Amino acid sequence: MRWLPAFLSVSLLASGSFAAKKSTEERFKSFRAKSLSSTPIKLSDPSYRELTSTPRDYAAAIVLTAMDNRFGCQLCREFQPEWDLLSRSWTKGDKAGESRLIFGTLDFSDGRDIFMSLGLQTAPVLLLFPPTVGPHAAASPDPIRYDFSNGPQVAEVVHSWIARHLPDRPHPPIKRPINWVRWISTTVISLGSITAMFVAWPYIIPVLQSRNVWSAISLMLILLFTSGHMYNQIRKVPYVAGDGKGGISYFAGGFQNQYGLETQIVAAIYGLLSLAGISLVLKVPRISDVKLQGVAVIAWGGVFFLTYGFLLSVFRTKNPGYPFALPPFL
Amino acid sequence: MSAEPIQALVDVGKGKTTRGVLRVIILALIAGASIASRLFSVIRFESIIHEFDPWFNFRATKYLVANGFYNFWDWFDDRTWHPLGRVTGGTLYPGLMVTSGAIYHALRTLTIPVDIRNVCVLLAPGFSGLTAIAAYLLTNEMTVHNSAGLLAAIFMGIAPGYISRSVAGSYDNEAIAIFLLVFTFYLWIKALKQGSMLWGALCALFYGYMVASWGGYAFITCLLPLHAFVLICMGRYSTRLYVSYTTWYALGTLASMQIPFVGFLPVKTSEHMPALGIFGFLQLLAFLDYVRSAIPSRQFQTFLWLFAGGTFAIGLAGLVVATSAGIIAPWSGRFYSLWDTGYAKIHIPIIASVSEHQPTAWPAFFFDLNMLVYLFPVGVYLCFQKLHDEHVFIIVYAVFGSYFAGVMVRLMLTLTPVVCIAGAIAVSSLLDTYLDARSPKPEEQVAESSEKKAPKSGLKSTDKPLVGIYGLWSKSAVVAAMGVYLLLFVMHCTWVTSNAYSSPSVVLASRMPDGSQHIIDDYREAYQWLRQNTKEDAKVMSWWDYGYQIGGMADRPTLVDNNTWNNTHIATVGKAMSSREEVSYPIMRQHEVDYVLVVFGGLLGYSGDDINKFLWMVRIAEGIWPDEVSERAFFTPRGEYKVDAEATETMKNSLMYKMSYYNFNNLFPPGQAIDRMRQARLPEVGPTLSTMEEAFTSENWIIRIYKVKDLDNLGRDHISAAAFDRGLKKKRAPKKKGPRVLRVD
Repeated sequence: MRWLPAFLSVSLLASGSFAAKKSTEERFKSFRAKSLSSTPIKLSDPSYRELTSTPRDYAAAIVLTAMDNRFGCQLCREFQPEWDLLSRSWTKGDKAGESRLIFGTLDFSDGRDIFMSLGLQTAPVLLLFPPTVGPHAAASPDPIRYDFSNGPQVAEVVHSWIARHLPDRPHPPIKRPINWVRWISTTVISLGSITAMFVAWPYIIPVLQSRNVWSAISLMLILLFTSGHMYNQIRKVPYVAGDGKGGISYFAGGFQNQYGLETQIVAAIYGLLSLAGISLVLKVPRISDVKLQGVAVIAWGGVFFLTYGFLLSVFRTKNPGYPFALPPFL
Repeated sequence: MSAEPIQALVDVGKGKTTRGVLRVIILALIAGASIASRLFSVIRFESIIHEFDPWFNFRATKYLVANGFYNFWDWFDDRTWHPLGRVTGGTLYPGLMVTSGAIYHALRTLTIPVDIRNVCVLLAPGFSGLTAIAAYLLTNEMTVHNSAGLLAAIFMGIAPGYISRSVAGSYDNEAIAIFLLVFTFYLWIKALKQGSMLWGALCALFYGYMVASWGGYAFITCLLPLHAFVLICMGRYSTRLYVSYTTWYALGTLASMQIPFVGFLPVKTSEHMPALGIFGFLQLLAFLDYVRSAIPSRQFQTFLWLFAGGTFAIGLAGLVVATSAGIIAPWSGRFYSLWDTGYAKIHIPIIASVSEHQPTAWPAFFFDLNMLVYLFPVGVYLCFQKLHDEHVFIIVYAVFGSYFAGVMVRLMLTLTPVVCIAGAIAVSSLLDTYLDARSPKPEEQVAESSEKKAPKSGLKSTDKPLVGIYGLWSKSAVVAAMGVYLLLFVMHCTWVTSNAYSSPSVVLASRMPDGSQHIIDDYREAYQWLRQNTKEDAKVMSWWDYGYQIGGMADRPTLVDNNTWNNTHIATVGKAMSSREEVSYPIMRQHEVDYVLVVFGGLLGYSGDDINKFLWMVRIAEGIWPDEVSERAFFTPRGEYKVDAEATETMKNSLMYKMSYYNFNNLFPPGQAIDRMRQARLPEVGPTLSTMEEAFTSENWIIRIYKVKDLDNLGRDHISAAAFDRGLKKKRAPKKKGPRVLRVD
């Protein structure tokens, strides 16, 4: 019987301030009633302690989040609707409460002390408190933690994670509500555009058949892709970054890095060089005025030379060992 | 008198035969140059197979040469993927091995004594010469100027984007595949231009060869239908297109299905569906074409509408049914990751972990293509000027190819040919304009241009009639500048090849303080040790990167290798590497592992070591066992990946960490151990290993091999046995009581 006082003190500590200690069954019933009206339950400091106090014969999944604009937690805001959806469809699908799972959300502004005591540095964090008594009792009363290290998660992923940790209990599937607004707007837009196409067909045809349009589109796509736009898309690089001295750093250091603005600068350089090339090949020989043609040759040739030199110097900042350069940018 | 020799000299270049001879000589020189520029590594190091995948190809080629074609075809390899084995003959692209085997046997028949290794090492440079010639042929189909073809050939020959995968020793599928790619395109254009069944059949033949050689054949499978589709949309359906496309598709698909690895994929998977769809579409168009010629036009209108609606409905229904019934497989992971760029990162870490599958940053484009990267749009624009069928091909290829090259670094290889061709068209048009010796006279030109309108091509910049360049100085300035750029291009290519692409990565080179070269040969040292000192069937566990090399150089069975066909098996190795010894040991026993090989760069500052790749092992293992391995546990609370005293307990207890840093601190004075790769000071007390013992460590500590201990003789577990050996007193275990049980009477 040596363990009894220790256990008592622990549970007393955990249950904290409410001395009027309810039994685990009562607690589950009251939270269950709350969650039927609105889920996930918006928790505060005392209700969090009550929900997670031991012994408990139910499980609790609680997201600790920081929705306030002050914290600028993009991930929290992106995950919140998914979390709401998950808890709603779980609670609705589990009418009898057989899974004995309560969903809760604790915002930083409501439970500062909890965040402190858990030593949380980041948000959101999902904690799953397993039951400590009953048929599904876990060995340890400590919560299982789910980290959002892979960016925002969809409800299905979190659902399968929870289901994995609550075996042998019903796992109501996620029911995504049909997005009526999107359906209707898509239909209206597509019908509208078909009508517009039909009406404007005689005017669209020359555009569709114009070589200038298609050549512009192709060249723009090529410039976009060869200046590393897809890399930005996939890696989600910052548009621009500071240089640590209060200024702006236009070019990222290192051969395998780049910023969004940087790729636009490079695309502009390529575009200028291509334009100079096209002008020298196609436009200049078609200028019938002798003097004008001379000026054009100098201008485009000069633009070509200077821009290429600049491009080489930019490339040398990315790859310091690169040995080649053209005169003004040595 | 004096004018005659000069006149003769000028006339030399005029005759048709002389030009032909000159062209052949120039092409031969270009082929020679492209071969020569790929020999840096042979001259600097030796004739050796490079990197990882080539070692498997080399091993397979040796098997083919030794055992004949049919045994090769049925090859079941029980020395890889232990204990599963691999149906190697049915899961590889045999084109490369068969090519070098054929060359080997041909040379032997000619009584030229040649080693199969040298055939393999020099195959890629040899084929690059052929690629240059194929680029010449393809470009000649685009323009009337032969100079463009010659420029394309030299660009193709020395562009680093292609050299990166075809230096001597880089014995990989791409070595022959790029030649086949360009040549297939050439034959396609030829077939399309002439509407010739013969050229179409030849195209299908080389397409079949391409399918036998490289998984990238899907690029052709998608590009040709796309070209056909764009032509149809432009209203350019013709019997030429019908004949060439249907010939290519029917014969090419049959040819591709002969490869066991491909099998029925061409009629099942979605990446082959565009080709099939266009094939069907062309049949409909041909049918409509026939009907239009047979019935009056008013009835034809009604017929057309009914026919179009019916076909559409049937096609859609068929597609839905086939997909839902599972007859048509969904997009394969590798291919799908090209479209939905976030897909691989979330779902398939094994694909995301390969550096070749990363997206391309802009410096890589400039590095691999130099000035061609911005001459490329100029050439594409020039293609819009005439816009024949073959020019449409270049434009489609350009857009499509640059998208794929942007998504995946490796596909720079498929972009390079079109960049070279378009760049060559641009440069040759520039040089043709500015090297014309005849200058127009201003006054006569005005008169001429007013009477004769230039044919309208539809491009804005070519509205005005062509005049020509007046001033000699402007001509010479532009030509001189172009000469400088071309010279710079050659220098760039040579520099890139020599510095970036000529390292075998099996042998590393470093500079001594006095500037002399020092060769670091740890890999071969370690593999040789394995070959000499271990049993013939000793299983070696390592991360999959080194599987092919162990198989090729050490000739020992491995658990996983670079043919990443079984993700679970790889994850098992990842779990063994990233778990505690107590967890890893049973895994290794179950897989009969005798030796474990790790690569460690901490002493030398070698970046490609296993600690740097470690997170991928963790991630891949986490994908299969999310409850037992957690990436989060390898990061400090502040989110840093550390190996020094601040490293997390999980990190310090992981097998990989222990094997990497075992005994490392004994090299340094106490407390001074420094990992030169990660610039981290290691804890004073190094890790201890209980379940395995150090067997071999190479000269520079790059490779460390551990022997997995057998079960303890006294039946103890290894942890306590090792503790006993270290002289620690056995802790008196509390009396075995078991958990308290409530006695119920």
